[in-house]
Amino acid sequence: MSNKYTQHLDSLEVAGLGSMYPERFRISVGMATCGLATGAGEVFQQLRKGIDKTGIDAVLSGTGCLGFCQMEPVVDLYIPGGPRLTYAEMTPDKATSLIDALSRGDIPTDDLLCVHRTESLLGDSFRDYGSGDAGKFDGVPLYTQVPFFAKQNKIALRNCGVIDPVSIEEYVARSGYRALLEVLTNRTNRELIEEVKKSGLRGRGGGGFPTGLKWEYTLSTEADERYVICNADEGDPGAYMDRSVLEGDPHSVIEGMILGGYAMQASKGFVYVRTEYPLAVERMAEAIVQARANGFLGEDIFGSGFSFDLQIRQGSGAFVCGEETSLMHSIEGVSPEPRNRPPFPSESGLWEKPTNINNVETWANIPAILFKGGDWFSAIGTENSKGTKVFSLVGTVRNTGLVEVPMGITLREIIFEIGGGIPDDKEFKAVQTGGPSGGCLPASLLDLPVDYQQLAEAGSIMGSGGMVVMDETSCVVDIARYFLDFTNDESCGKCTSCRDGSELMLNILTRITQGHGKPEDVDFLLELGAAVTDASQCGLGQTLANPVLSTIRYFRDEYDAHIEQAICPAHACKELVTYSVNPDTCTGCTLCARNCPAAAISGKVKEVHYIDQGNCIKCGLCYDVCNFNAIVVE
Amino acid sequence: MGHGNNIMAEMKPEKKNMATESAKSGAVLVVGGGIAGIQSSLDLADSGYKVYLVEKTPAIGGTMAQLDKTFPTNDCAMCVISPKLVGSGRHLNIDLITNAEVMGIEGEAGNFTVKVKRHPRYVDVEACTGCGACVQNCPVNMIIYPVEQDEVEIKRKDRDTVLSILEENDHGEGSLMPVLQAVDKHYGYLPEDVITYISSKLSVSLSDIYNIATFYNSFSLVPKGRHKISICMGTTCYVKGAEKLMQKLCSDLGVEPGGTTEDMRFSVEAARCIGCCSLAPAIMVNDKVYGRVKLTDLSGILKEYE
Repeated sequence: MSNKYTQHLDSLEVAGLGSMYPERFRISVGMATCGLATGAGEVFQQLRKGIDKTGIDAVLSGTGCLGFCQMEPVVDLYIPGGPRLTYAEMTPDKATSLIDALSRGDIPTDDLLCVHRTESLLGDSFRDYGSGDAGKFDGVPLYTQVPFFAKQNKIALRNCGVIDPVSIEEYVARSGYRALLEVLTNRTNRELIEEVKKSGLRGRGGGGFPTGLKWEYTLSTEADERYVICNADEGDPGAYMDRSVLEGDPHSVIEGMILGGYAMQASKGFVYVRTEYPLAVERMAEAIVQARANGFLGEDIFGSGFSFDLQIRQGSGAFVCGEETSLMHSIEGVSPEPRNRPPFPSESGLWEKPTNINNVETWANIPAILFKGGDWFSAIGTENSKGTKVFSLVGTVRNTGLVEVPMGITLREIIFEIGGGIPDDKEFKAVQTGGPSGGCLPASLLDLPVDYQQLAEAGSIMGSGGMVVMDETSCVVDIARYFLDFTNDESCGKCTSCRDGSELMLNILTRITQGHGKPEDVDFLLELGAAVTDASQCGLGQTLANPVLSTIRYFRDEYDAHIEQAICPAHACKELVTYSVNPDTCTGCTLCARNCPAAAISGKVKEVHYIDQGNCIKCGLCYDVCNFNAIVVE
Repeated sequence: MGHGNNIMAEMKPEKKNMATESAKSGAVLVVGGGIAGIQSSLDLADSGYKVYLVEKTPAIGGTMAQLDKTFPTNDCAMCVISPKLVGSGRHLNIDLITNAEVMGIEGEAGNFTVKVKRHPRYVDVEACTGCGACVQNCPVNMIIYPVEQDEVEIKRKDRDTVLSILEENDHGEGSLMPVLQAVDKHYGYLPEDVITYISSKLSVSLSDIYNIATFYNSFSLVPKGRHKISICMGTTCYVKGAEKLMQKLCSDLGVEPGGTTEDMRFSVEAARCIGCCSLAPAIMVNDKVYGRVKLTDLSGILKEYE
């Protein structure tokens, strides 16, 4: 019986391979939000126009994000029978010259980031591109030689930037839905759960709970209906891997959720996406329609008798909805405040039915684990943390983007080898992991292997994988204040400890950054932080003190400098700095005076300008606009 | 304190000398169990008067018990009123007469006789714990506080729009959020008459809708500008100077963060991370994201939108 379904997948695969490797050029543009934000849309239009005008034999398509967001917009060129080339930092003009070169039979090598001779599939397998144009691109680094990609091992991001996200054929051509067919025809749901347990996969959203175990609990609760939910309410500032997966490879999440639904005998799933990600919603919706049309969602999937369907629900901008009980309340349409656990969602969740919630990245890992086997996955990573983790490497670091690395890699490898270190000859100061629930880790911990346990012991958390690098110009007290401002605003107000504790901590930190700190402040912050952690119901309150506690632990001297001497060593706290004009370098261009919102700068053309300290609001605009470095910050 | 009913009985014959005889005796009738009535009753009762507090609805508390915050101090309303509710319920000098109306008063100072009509409650007041289970299980969905609901008025154009939104987002339970999102998308905010209409159509109370609408950041109860500018205040954007962008934009447009320009062209707000951290600082106008925004780029971006 299953033959019919195998044939269906085979025919999709043939079509997918045909569109990925046509008998002509395939030009693809990275069209995720990060690409579009740097002008990928214009590049795409220009390529379209160029192809129509010159009539060259090429297909044009859009893909997701390759991960190297620093280099966006990224354009890939597949040469039939030859390699695939990746061009970086494209502009509409460069797009035109690329098309012109192609129409002359030439292939430009300017702006080439790397060349792909093979296409890496899951695990160590490859698909060879053929050796066309051998030798022609010898000077260009191979994909695996680019430092940004060299140490990466892409599992959750396996298809991002490679396939057209809304082409189910191309997803199948990358072994998609094969695991689903195999499981639904030959394996029981308990075997599936065993396989996930064997893989050692832990939740990628922040909690790090073993996924297989959670599934088992959900299945073991007696009920007439169960639900699975994909938590795509990625609220942690500094993390965006979930957006990238939804925009670049929505089918991997859908396949993961169908498998999860089968494992837990749920017939309905919800994808809860935050409202700030309109493109992710659009692509996910389109992918769901495709999956339904192909019979992967709906009644009697693959003739197994198992039925499952998915719905998208959107958030409306509330950070606390990333918390699972709050998220379920939001789907139910009631006030989205978190509630006490137990009962855990696996016993009583959405509409009081057993419910399983996993993060986008967790779901995207599931098809890969079932395709390659739990043992394959658990061979990657450390003893307690298996597999790979996607980090968004951002902040003041040379190469920003999404990196997927095996667990256990050190911070130094991520920041200095993959990330290329700190730009502008600045010193590394700290790296903030785990968003508002995480902490700041100093340079002395750069050799810390990154896994759940090690980060927790260092006073931070893995969280959803945000990794914000800060250089010497960032003030850690100000960063702690920033996070408290965030959590204080986003606290739902249910628990007094969180609502009022965050407010009190914020007030103290604000006072410290304004130079009015008191000697007893730091001890009080430590005490208050411990109280808020103990007394709050949900993850938001329990972890909101982490940014404060970790910065006090590692940067106590900076707190002391603010409190005792009223100076900000990083020159970042605006109440503690003064802006003045260096008479030797000021050319009298008047740019600063024209941009000053407080009209505090006076001076005539070609004369040295003067900042009136009484009127100066210390916004720093003059410092930013000055082309001659004539504004001094002290 | 604690004179009890005897005082009232004593009062009747000695009406003329009352004022001179004893200032601290007598009984008082307070009409209306809102915060003013409750506070008056408590003060009087603490001063030794016997108080009869008459309230029309089945419970005291009035409007304040329905509020979240009180003007002008933004104090939590329930934190203020709930101790008083409990206090007046327990006070030995206060008799609560709820679900009742004053029909008439006779007599003169010191000797009044008041006729009170108490409506039937059909519930044993001594045994009821106020658990709410009966309300939820009532098959005819009777509302405990009978609210006089007028026919909700709404313009015909709005009605057609809302009806089609309700139809498109009919998920049974849990339809409210998608419906509100669709309304917000269509109108740019949640107009009062529209949500009142939705409240009657979905049988969700207006206060529940208000709770949802004010909980989420992206809902607004006032009209927004034609173009929504969100300045990302995520960690990375913050580290890379998003605050300066906000300051400059607000001073250029002459608005406060969260405000709307007078010509309704732009609304400016601080967004939580928009997931473009690699291109910080980022801003989003409507659904379009701009990365690596410099202070000098802002005016050019604004020109794209009319």
